[in-house]
Amino acid sequence: MHLEKWRRLEEEARRIRREEADWKFIEKQPPKIRAALKYYVEVGDLYVASRIAGLTIDEFNRLRIKARIPNVA
Amino acid sequence: MDFAIADTCFLIDWSLWRRRDAIFELFKTIFVPETVMREVVSADTIEWITDALIKGVLSLFTETPDILEEARVLVEKSRSIPVLRGVDLPEAICLVVGRRRGYIVLTENRGALMITDILEEYRKVKVWRALEVIANLIKKRLLRTRDPTEIFNEYERETYHRFPRGELEVVIDELRREVGEVA
Repeated sequence: MHLEKWRRLEEEARRIRREEADWKFIEKQPPKIRAALKYYVEVGDLYVASRIAGLTIDEFNRLRIKARIPNVA
Repeated sequence: MDFAIADTCFLIDWSLWRRRDAIFELFKTIFVPETVMREVVSADTIEWITDALIKGVLSLFTETPDILEEARVLVEKSRSIPVLRGVDLPEAICLVVGRRRGYIVLTENRGALMITDILEEYRKVKVWRALEVIANLIKKRLLRTRDPTEIFNEYERETYHRFPRGELEVVIDELRREVGEVA
């Protein structure tokens, strides 16, 4: 019951991130940054995404905003 | 007034909002783990945090080995439940401190909310996102507005955030009932 509710909310958040992301901007980035932004779109985890990018969370968050990926929470 | 402990994803987003200082009226102090401090690099955010540390409205929280160990156990537990969004060490530290010391946990990580919903030993931990923080600021009239929607919209614009629509509607209805039009 609880797990189903969370699964639905996760799916909804992922849909919003996918729809609003600036994919042209994301595709133009170097490989590590591009992979990290795509990970963020799919999972919404700022910490892990920043580690993939090799950036601090602060730096990655600013990149997230440039890529127009909303933080859905 | 309660104590709170903030993780990085909350603090970094919150620091981009023009009304960011309002949060200091809500808590005795907000603890910031050392792991969070290491993640902040932008001049404006560092200045804001430093200023708040000087005023004593933010305080540094140094993680002890036993807190770190319990947080690692929590990370493992969160990864062992299918569907549950795993938590990482920074949020796990905040949840452990929330459970042990009764601090309100400030985070935008949905995994932290899931933990308090699913794991019995974390049920009593209060987790607030920007949604709950803003709602409480309005309820306590620390933010005054004719229409709460405007405040939430402003936060979304300035931090590039999206509140889940269903939850936002519930919160706004509740605020309108409780507070009415606050000029």
